[in-house]
Amino acid sequence: MKEFWKRFSRNRSAVAGLLILIAVILLAILAPILYPEDPFSLVGLPMVEPFEGFLLGTDILGRNVAAGIAHGAKVSLLIGLFATLVAMLIGILIGAAAGYYGGWIDDALMRLTELFQTIPSFLFAILLVAIMTPSIESIVIAIAVVSWPTVARLVRGEFLALRKREFVEACVGVGMSDWRIITLQILPNCLSPIIVTGSLMVATAILIESGLSFLGLGDPNVMSWGFMVGAGRTVLRSAWWVCAFPGIAILLTVLAINLVGEGLNDAFNPRLRNR
Amino acid sequence: MRSRFLKIMTRLFGVAAVAAVMAGPQGAGAQESGGTLIMVVQPEPPSLASYLSTSGPIGQVSAKVYDGLLEYDFNLNPLPSLAESWEVSEDGKTITFHLREGVTFHDGEPFTSEDVQFTFMEVLKKVHPRAAITFKELTAVETPDEHTVVFKLANPAPYMIRALSGYESPILPKHLFEGTDLRNSEYANEPIGTGPFKFVEWERGQYIRLDKNEDYWKEGLPYLDRIAARFIPDASTRTAAMESGEVHFAGFSAIPNIDVVRLQEMDTIEVGTDGYSMINPMALLELNTTQPPFDKKKVRQAVSYAIDRNFIIENIFFGFGKPATGPISSNFEVAGFYTDEVKDYATKDRIEKANALLDEAGYPRGPDGVRFEIVHDILPYGEEWRRTGEYIKQALGEVGIDVTLRYEDVPTWLKRIYTDYDFDMNLNFFYQLADPVLGVHRQYLTSQIRPGTVFVNGSRYSNPEIDKLFEQAATERDPEKRSALYDEIQRILVEDVPVITLFEIGFTNVYDTNLKDAIISPLGVYASFDRAWLDE
Repeated sequence: MKEFWKRFSRNRSAVAGLLILIAVILLAILAPILYPEDPFSLVGLPMVEPFEGFLLGTDILGRNVAAGIAHGAKVSLLIGLFATLVAMLIGILIGAAAGYYGGWIDDALMRLTELFQTIPSFLFAILLVAIMTPSIESIVIAIAVVSWPTVARLVRGEFLALRKREFVEACVGVGMSDWRIITLQILPNCLSPIIVTGSLMVATAILIESGLSFLGLGDPNVMSWGFMVGAGRTVLRSAWWVCAFPGIAILLTVLAINLVGEGLNDAFNPRLRNR
Repeated sequence: MRSRFLKIMTRLFGVAAVAAVMAGPQGAGAQESGGTLIMVVQPEPPSLASYLSTSGPIGQVSAKVYDGLLEYDFNLNPLPSLAESWEVSEDGKTITFHLREGVTFHDGEPFTSEDVQFTFMEVLKKVHPRAAITFKELTAVETPDEHTVVFKLANPAPYMIRALSGYESPILPKHLFEGTDLRNSEYANEPIGTGPFKFVEWERGQYIRLDKNEDYWKEGLPYLDRIAARFIPDASTRTAAMESGEVHFAGFSAIPNIDVVRLQEMDTIEVGTDGYSMINPMALLELNTTQPPFDKKKVRQAVSYAIDRNFIIENIFFGFGKPATGPISSNFEVAGFYTDEVKDYATKDRIEKANALLDEAGYPRGPDGVRFEIVHDILPYGEEWRRTGEYIKQALGEVGIDVTLRYEDVPTWLKRIYTDYDFDMNLNFFYQLADPVLGVHRQYLTSQIRPGTVFVNGSRYSNPEIDKLFEQAATERDPEKRSALYDEIQRILVEDVPVITLFEIGFTNVYDTNLKDAIISPLGVYASFDRAWLDE
């Protein structure tokens, strides 16, 4: 672990990313303490400029922008995390089955994966949310459904390579069940690329959620950064802060997660460090 | 007849001479002929068949091509148009119109009583979406001679006289429509009427071009040589086009309110909200009166108290609107149908009153301060309505009602409200049109609880007393008595609040200061623009 951290910290920007990410996570955790009120509550006059009573000003209805950003952090991170977990689960199951068994199972599963990959993912997500009616659950499902094919293809590739290795052959030889071989032998050996892909997927998921909320397809009962940008864009010329701060929050968070992902990649693959 | 003088001058001396004359008496109402008016129509109309569809943008173009029997002044009084004069019989069941002579359609054929008979009996009564109400009492149109038509009614219908404009009841050429499939006419998108402008071409996605009708029956009119209706889907591009002077006119709030606030500061742009008093859009909340909690009158009243209508108008609609006091728009005051002597929900102590009513209704606050939970549906027509829903959620939260917002696509939403009735409270707006019979009755009558028909009595409110009063108001010919009936209706409905009216939506007309006399009737952009002129 110490060795891992040493390799990770060699990448300066990854450390910076990690610090930003920790700050965002802290903000999300502390949101209910910092701003105990519902972020939708009308706390002041509409469109108050930043620092005039409210740290980041208020929006067109008089909602506190800072409170929205704090509560939005929790929503964005949770959606990113859950959508990624669901996508991972689907992707690993399908990828592992395809890579391990090969043959017609591989063919069938990969054609299915390709089918999903041919549809532009953001448009597909819009369609799914519109059909299911916007809510937290439908957004998580939509993001997971458009994200799993990448994981499936990655896992399949790893499994194909590992399937023929001696230690797997040995396991088969001693009569270990397929399920045990997949979960206990092969999967742990391809965990590092999965973790790196997963961390980057969290960033993509946050971006998709923001995009959906921006277009008005977010959960109308939940404060999120994309919603704040979308609701504020009509007043961009007269109240820039309503859009700008949540926009910066999205930028920093996504950037931080990407940097951390890069750092993890370096740490897992020390030989690639000097590319 | 200054304009006629100008026309002769134009012919004699050419444009330069006229320009010299014009330079003289400025601001004396000296109309100038010529020029192309470029107006924004948003969105692009699906067709130009105003006899078949009431879709918003259609009338903005079709009313320039089709005349009606009548026009209207700002007090909603009828004025002559294709009908020069008219008489209503003692019993109110016969209306005789004397038609103007020497009027021709754009294809040169003369306009006669046959066209009127055909239009009302064969077209409007059969295919116009609002005819089921408007022309319910109309049983026959007789044509004693070429220039007289007699409308026969089963019962008096005093509201019908306000539905005879070129927008609502366009007069069609019988010789082109007779014997054809009305729903697929070749003239649906290439209209031929008697109006001041002739249809020339429609470049899909770009513009519709209308040219001056040189043979128009109004002497010396229209002033404009041409009207181009442009379609610009993106809101900020429309604003930019208005700002740069690329277009002269944008009606029906085609320019977003936030931009209107900025544009009206400019010297070259003027903003008005006149010209919607025969449309009368009213924002409101439909409550499901058949199930808890809104089956209780006190709960409905509490919600009406809890909402600050001015907050919505000022912060979400940027000041364009007027708080509603009851079920009928204040624009009907000139016709005598409006009263503000009703229960007032905008009192200073409205929050205390709301809380007290909810307590009395048997919904005390729970340990978490919540009395009960409801789902609030929002009409899916854009950002302002979402903001309004978000505000309502907060306002009701303050009195202990926990609101969850639901935002669906249009067909799902319409089905939920008007077919399945699977809702608690729905944000919506209704056009009240030119007479309460045409736009208001449908929302309250027991007979208008019609599963599957949209924009009717979705609250499923049923009150025999109200049904009876509406029925009387529809056929009462004495204006005084009719006015008294509507006063009574408003008092009852404001007390009962099956529908919480929020505010009268203030649609804007944004126009170039060089454009004069465009909005000169209560129909606004749904009028013919025959007197509009450009001072350039």
